[in-house]
Amino acid sequence: MRQTAGTLNRTWLAILGILALAAGAALLLQSNGTLHALLNTARFWEFVVTGDLHAFFAQPWVVAVILIIGVIMGVLGLLWIIAQIPRKNRAAAYRLHDDGSQGFTLCDSSVLATAVESRINNLPGVVTSAALLRGTARAADLSLRVTVNDRADVQDLIHRIQTSTLPELSSALEAPLQRSQLQIDVSGRTQSTGTVVHSTGTVLH
Amino acid sequence: MSRDGQRSSRLRHRPSRAIPSIIAGILLLAAGVALAWLAITRLANGTWPPLLQGPRDWLAVLAWNDPAIRQIGIAAVVAGVVLLLCAFIPGGFNALTIDDSRSGAGAEEPPVQERETVMTRRAVARLAKARCLQIDGVGSAAATATTRRVHLNVTTSLHEPGDLRARITDAVRARLEETGLSPVPQVTATVRSRD
Repeated sequence: MRQTAGTLNRTWLAILGILALAAGAALLLQSNGTLHALLNTARFWEFVVTGDLHAFFAQPWVVAVILIIGVIMGVLGLLWIIAQIPRKNRAAAYRLHDDGSQGFTLCDSSVLATAVESRINNLPGVVTSAALLRGTARAADLSLRVTVNDRADVQDLIHRIQTSTLPELSSALEAPLQRSQLQIDVSGRTQSTGTVVHSTGTVLH
Repeated sequence: MSRDGQRSSRLRHRPSRAIPSIIAGILLLAAGVALAWLAITRLANGTWPPLLQGPRDWLAVLAWNDPAIRQIGIAAVVAGVVLLLCAFIPGGFNALTIDDSRSGAGAEEPPVQERETVMTRRAVARLAKARCLQIDGVGSAAATATTRRVHLNVTTSLHEPGDLRARITDAVRARLEETGLSPVPQVTATVRSRD
């Protein structure tokens, strides 16, 4: 249910990949003279650095440019690493009534999420659940993760959620939900109670 | 480097490429810190750090046809291809879709504009394993699931497993169908007799 940076990662990996590929190809073409033939660049036996490096690096603007480039690269790298942390991004307090003359009604989305969880935890076959609300009160997104035991009737559970939990939440918000997401997980512990009957081997006449 | 956190992203998604992104982010950060440190040292001391002397001498005598340039070019091409593969190879979905229209909400259609119901691959594997363990003759079972296929490795104490494999695949497929997975993944099983 947590949100990851999939699109961001693909975009930046593609941009860096294209830059690295273009730079590598240009170096290879320059080193064997092909780039000189195509674009009239330096000849392949010439030195890479033709001027005086000491004089170049002694100029004050070079230090400033290196500092700015370093800071930009460092900040971008740090932000990219931070973006990898999965986030819930849950909604802040919902404004159920926002007519100033009548007063405001605020409701923290976590209160509604807890109410949804407690309703779902009482459904048959449910081991635990987690609910998360995003969006606004008029167009709320509900994300649910429901862990069931391995004998649960999943379709019956979905039916119960759709016919009781979702209408109740919608009624509380006084608006239809924009989106409902339900992720079913199965508990790793094999169900050995409830409907399971172990035979004792004794036959009663 | 921002991302849309206002609405929910889809539960059934492909890998987020977090590991290559973290590696690339760390390399970018390290390069940025190194450049900033060099510039700050130059501003503070009035001279560039002595460790730059070696690279500067090397650059001063480097020709375009030097083997080192070719090696750097090859390394950059390889890194570029790897990054592009990381970006464009889609990878498998993390979950399987459940057909929630079968649950018979009927006239009481839920007040939702858009619905998504999924079961994680791990959950499908656990469901298949649990159903398999209920079948007579199955000693132990391990299951793996992808979005298209569920495979069971079963150990039995039967010397002649007979139709056990068919019974396992039929029972597990029926359980997955009953759960509402759409499409139902192909179920395969390998049965080994315990000696």
